[in-house]
Amino acid sequence: MKLAKSSLRPGAVLAALLLVAAACGGDAEESSATTAATVEPAEESSATAEPAEEATDGLSGSIEVSGSSTVEPITALVAERFNAANPGVGISVEGPGTGDGFQRFCAGETDISDASRAIKDSEAQACAEAGVEWVELKVAFDGISVLTSPENDAVSCLDLGDLYALVGAESEGFQSWSDANGLASELAAAGLGGSHAPYPDAPLVITAPGEESGTFDAFVELALEDITEERGHDEPTRVDYQASANDNVIVDNISSNPTSFGWVGFAFFVENSSVVKAIEVDGGDGCVAPSIGSIADGSYPLSRPLFIYVSLSRMADNPALGPFVDFYLGDGFSSVAEAGYVTLPDDEIAATMSAWASGG
Amino acid sequence: MATRTIGSGSTAVTQDMLRRALEGRKVNVINPLVALTLLISLLASLAILVVLLWDVVAKSMPVWQERGWSVITNDLSPRPEETGMVQGIFGSVMLTVVVVILSFPLGVAAAIYLEEYARDTRLTRILVANIRNLAGVPSIVYGLLGLTVFVKLILEGMVGQLSGRTLIAGGMTLSMLVLAIMVITTQEALRAVPMALREASYGVGATPWQTIRHHVLPVASPAIFTGSVLTLARAFGESAPLLLAGAVLSTFFAAPEGTPITSLVMSEKYTALPIIIYNWSRQPQTEYIALTAAAIVALLVILLVVNAGTILARDALERRRIR
Repeated sequence: MKLAKSSLRPGAVLAALLLVAAACGGDAEESSATTAATVEPAEESSATAEPAEEATDGLSGSIEVSGSSTVEPITALVAERFNAANPGVGISVEGPGTGDGFQRFCAGETDISDASRAIKDSEAQACAEAGVEWVELKVAFDGISVLTSPENDAVSCLDLGDLYALVGAESEGFQSWSDANGLASELAAAGLGGSHAPYPDAPLVITAPGEESGTFDAFVELALEDITEERGHDEPTRVDYQASANDNVIVDNISSNPTSFGWVGFAFFVENSSVVKAIEVDGGDGCVAPSIGSIADGSYPLSRPLFIYVSLSRMADNPALGPFVDFYLGDGFSSVAEAGYVTLPDDEIAATMSAWASGG
Repeated sequence: MATRTIGSGSTAVTQDMLRRALEGRKVNVINPLVALTLLISLLASLAILVVLLWDVVAKSMPVWQERGWSVITNDLSPRPEETGMVQGIFGSVMLTVVVVILSFPLGVAAAIYLEEYARDTRLTRILVANIRNLAGVPSIVYGLLGLTVFVKLILEGMVGQLSGRTLIAGGMTLSMLVLAIMVITTQEALRAVPMALREASYGVGATPWQTIRHHVLPVASPAIFTGSVLTLARAFGESAPLLLAGAVLSTFFAAPEGTPITSLVMSEKYTALPIIIYNWSRQPQTEYIALTAAAIVALLVILLVVNAGTILARDALERRRIR
């Protein structure tokens, strides 16, 4: 009797588990239904209505985008609109970083690679070896904002020599802003800038992107590289600062310390302009604050172009890719400002269009 | 003297000790001190939990008030005012289902073998030691394993998928992660079953399998059940291995419309709730601070509901067994 009764138990356990599984399965199906439902009612009816010729009926396939986390918001906005108009096309947009993006792009794993800098020779070589052909399309401008705390009244403008004195290869070990005074006067004597010394005698607390980031690369290239070369050094920056891949961590650290220093992409500055202060940058023609105007006309020294790289090798197998890029360069351009970046001037748009026309 | 002393010399000594203990003026300080320290430890850990909970709930309040359920039921969107976490909830739930299907039977079977069948040889001991070590391996390492073995080798290499970064690959990765823990918790549950029960069963002529099936497993099942669900809860909250094994870290992705659920699991992109939390926390827009908190609250609520459900189910099982 007892044997028979207890023999039910393991079965009961399994049944319970299966029930859990089944319940979860039910949930899932329901949620996928809502998934479809939320996409379908064309909330972006304005986006759908205007480019009627873009919304090719029955377009299907899937598009995989990876690359810069800076460009990701633009591409994600474009992708959402494109998907609303062409629900048959699956799209994923990721932003692990420009370098990681090119690695996957040149391995033939992605259709489009977002980039916050131009492709490097080594990356282009990897693409060539794997037989991946691509076209480079400039889509927007970004300005790198050099930040400090709003409480830091002593510093309002820096030139490239100052930036090098504070975070360049030779600044390792500087604990206080004033530690850089000597180096700055040395640079000034050599005609390399450093004209805003002496700096305040206050702790120099630096939080900035790490080496994996395109924003790091761009800052090094735009602000430091020439002076580093002139001074005969190899290291791009000092290594003794707090590096973070999370821009919000950087903004947080900068805002919470009165004599902080760091740099982020323009969008992060705009979103947080109430808690951080942008330092004006002097590229030789006077101090310029980062703004949409100064970035677009190139007068802000730390402005950089943002790109998408389209894999021509995957175009043949992927009928959705061409229309997606067409959409990006047409209606999609309005997403640039929405994502917090600076729209290309008309001549640059024309250049991008012709690059796409001749490449694609 | 004669009236008090009952036994021989040794009894007298005992009696003396007893009297001293009863009459002594020594105040016991150690015991209340220990109790107080333990209580403070408990309160400290509770306080941390309460502060954490309070923080996320308070931060997420604006989202619940302004967005209501849409923050749960909407798809991901690059627009923070329209985004939602349903894709992450779907991914996390389906990942857990895959983990249940793969690791529960395997883990329980392995534990039964180790506890009930395996002889205590050097090989067995090496195996057990290895499983314990596996349970301590950082989860990111399993992510690497998932990327190289499941994504690259099996799905892209052997099956020939264009992209192996699918939910099934993530599920298999998480299964590997929890398998060792599943084996250990089940082993502990089986070990807690009194030996006398097995001996009695063998005594009436039952085979080892009959003993396990009719006596050991029924007694151990509530503990196995609890252990398994706590293990699954861990899988539910993992993000690091999934990042490597190909979960989409993004503010937007969409499968082609009308994709059947089997394809969503087997061949489409996926994400999970912890991944969404991580991704939202690094977005520039200030709206994402509240959204991140809302996603954390959603994750905690799901975990709490699952854990509470488990305890209820286990108690129900136990009551039926006793009856």
